[in-house]
Amino acid sequence: MSKLLHKPFKAFTIYALVILACSIPVYFWVIDFIWLNELDEHNRITKEQIANSFNNARIAESELNSLLSNWDKLQPGTTITESFLSVPKPDSTYTVLKQNKYVEDKAIDRFRVLSSYISINGKLYHLQIETNVEETDETILAIAVVTLLFFALLVIGFILLNKRIAKQIWRPFRKTLEKLKSFDLTTQQTVSFEKTDIEEFEELNQALQKLIDKNVSVYYQQKTFIENASHELQTPLAILKSKLDLLVQNKDITNEQAEIVNSIEIPISRVSRINKNLLLLAKIENSQFADKESIEVTELVNETLELLTDYAEAKEITINRALSEKLTVTCNKTLLEILINNLLVNAIVHNIKNGTIKADLSGSTLIISNTGKAILDTTKLFERFSASSSETASSGLGLAIVKEICNRYNWQIHYTFQEAKHNFQVTF
Amino acid sequence: MKILIVEDEKELAQDIVNYLSGQNYLCEVAENYNQASEKILIYQYDCILLDLMLPDGNGLALLEELKKENKQDGVIIISAKNSTEDKVKGLQIGADDYLAKPFHHSELSARIHSIIRRKQFNSSNIIQLNEITIDLLGKTVKVNDVQILLTKKEIDLLLFFIGNKNRVISKSALAEHLSGDIADMFDNHDFVYAHVKNLKKKLTEAGYDNYIKTIYGTGYKWEI
Repeated sequence: MSKLLHKPFKAFTIYALVILACSIPVYFWVIDFIWLNELDEHNRITKEQIANSFNNARIAESELNSLLSNWDKLQPGTTITESFLSVPKPDSTYTVLKQNKYVEDKAIDRFRVLSSYISINGKLYHLQIETNVEETDETILAIAVVTLLFFALLVIGFILLNKRIAKQIWRPFRKTLEKLKSFDLTTQQTVSFEKTDIEEFEELNQALQKLIDKNVSVYYQQKTFIENASHELQTPLAILKSKLDLLVQNKDITNEQAEIVNSIEIPISRVSRINKNLLLLAKIENSQFADKESIEVTELVNETLELLTDYAEAKEITINRALSEKLTVTCNKTLLEILINNLLVNAIVHNIKNGTIKADLSGSTLIISNTGKAILDTTKLFERFSASSSETASSGLGLAIVKEICNRYNWQIHYTFQEAKHNFQVTF
Repeated sequence: MKILIVEDEKELAQDIVNYLSGQNYLCEVAENYNQASEKILIYQYDCILLDLMLPDGNGLALLEELKKENKQDGVIIISAKNSTEDKVKGLQIGADDYLAKPFHHSELSARIHSIIRRKQFNSSNIIQLNEITIDLLGKTVKVNDVQILLTKKEIDLLLFFIGNKNRVISKSALAEHLSGDIADMFDNHDFVYAHVKNLKKKLTEAGYDNYIKTIYGTGYKWEI
C-alpha cells in the first residue's frame, strides 16, 4: 500500500521528466536556429562591409591582386577568389565541419559559411565567409545538463512540498481517522469532528457525523426497545403466574389438571427467565451497573456454592473446592455475582448424574469445571441463544451475559473440554 | 387485618385479593396514585402492597408521603422493575420489603404475614400455632413444650407454611423461597421434596398432627 500523496507525486515526477526530456531537442533546435540565423546575418553584414570597402577604396588592379593574395592573413575566416562565372550565382549559406586552424587540440569544428559573389573593379569575385558555430553535441550536452539540474530541483521541491502538504492538509483527515478509531458504539458517546476549511474533509466529516449519529440512535432505540419490551412482558407474565397460583387453589382440581398446570409453569418460568436475562443484558450494555467496590472472589464463590448445595445434592453432584487462595477484584458486586452464579448454575444444569464440579482459584484465574458428555461448539458458545436447546431449561443467555460482563472489565474467558470435563476459565 | 393493594393492573390486584382473602385479610385496592394517597391518609392498614409504576405517579413518592405522616403501616414494594437502585431506595425511605414481579402469591402472603407479625406483636419473636411454638430469635421450635431440632431451611419452610394456611403452595414457590433468585435458574425443584419430607417426619415424631398435605402434581398445603 502506498500513501495517497505518493501516487500523484510519482505521476507528476514522470510527467516532468518526460516534458523536460522532450524540451531538450526543442531547446536545441530553437537555439541552433537562432544561432544560425544570427550568424547568417552576421556573415551578410561582413560581406556588405567587404564589398563596400572595396568599392569605396577604388584599389588599383595590381594592388588588388597583392591584397587578395594576402587576404587570408588580413581577414581570417573569409576568402576571396576570382570567379570565372560571368553571371553571379545567388548567395548560399551552409554549414561545414572542419579542422579549426586557430585553436589547437581541437578536432573538428562547425562553421557557418556564406558563399557569395561580389564585383570589384568590374570583376566578379567569389567571397566565402566562415564563422565558427557551437557544435551540436556541445549544445545538446549543455542543455541536457541544465535541464537535468532543473529536474533535480523540481523533484526535490516536489518531495519537500509533498511532505509539507501531507502534514498540513491531511491533519484534519488524521484527526477524523483517530476519532473514528476510538469510537465505540456501545459506549453511546457520539463523536464530534473538528471544523476544517477543506471542502472534501468537511463533507466527509459531515457524512460521518450523520452516519454515527444515526447508528447511535438506532443502537439506543434497539436497546431501549429490548428494555421496554422486557418491561412490558413482565406484567402479563406476572398475571399469568398469578392465575396459575389461584388455579391450583381450586379444591375441585383433578390430578390430570394439576399435571397440566404444573407443565404450564415450566415454560412460563422459562419465558420469565429469558425476559429477565434480556433485561439484564440491556442494562449491562447501558452501563447501568457503574458503581464499583472491592469484592473477595473466594468468598463469593463459596457463598454461591452454598446456595446451590440443594440443587447439587438433588443431582448427586460432588463439589470440589480448591479455593485456598484469596483474590480480591474491584468491580460491580451484582455483576460478579451474576457471573459466578451463571457459571456455577451451568455446571449443575449441564452436569451428569453423580458428576462432579470443581471450583479452582489460583492466582487471578478462576476455573469452574464440571463433568459433561461432549465438547460444546466453541465458536457459538458465548452467543445469545446459540446454546439453547429444548432439552435444557437454559435461557440461552447465561453465557452471553458472562461474556458481556467479562468484556466490560477486560477479563478473559476461555472454554476447554478435557477428560470429559467442561472447563470455564476466567482470568481477572 | 387490613391490607391495601396499590396496583394499576386490575387483574393482578384482583388475584392478590382473591388469594389473600382466604387468609382472613381484608383487602382494599387503589388503582392509582390519587386513590392510594387518599386511602393512606384516611385509614390505617396493617400492610400496604405498593407498585412503583403507577399511571399518575411514582410509588416511591407515596411511600415518602406515608413516612412524612409518620404512619406505621407496613409496606411491601411490588415492582416489575427489578432494579437494585429502586430496591435500595425503597428500603431506605422506609419500605419493609421488596418483591419483584412476577412473584408467587404464597411468597407474598408469607412476607405479609412476617411483616404484620413484626408490627403487631411489637417485634415479639414467639409464634404460637396449635401445639407448636417457634422462637424466631433463638431459632428453636417446640412441640408441646418439647424442643425439636430443625435446620434453618426447615424453620423457613415451617414459617412459609404458616404464612399460607390452607393454600396450595407450588414446589417452585417453595424453592424460590428457600434459595432466592437462584431458584429462578432451575426447572427442577425436587430438592424441596427432601426438605418437606424431613420437616414432616420431625414434626410427626414429636407428636404434632400432620398438617402438611402433599397435593398431587402441584405442591403442598398446610391444612388447619
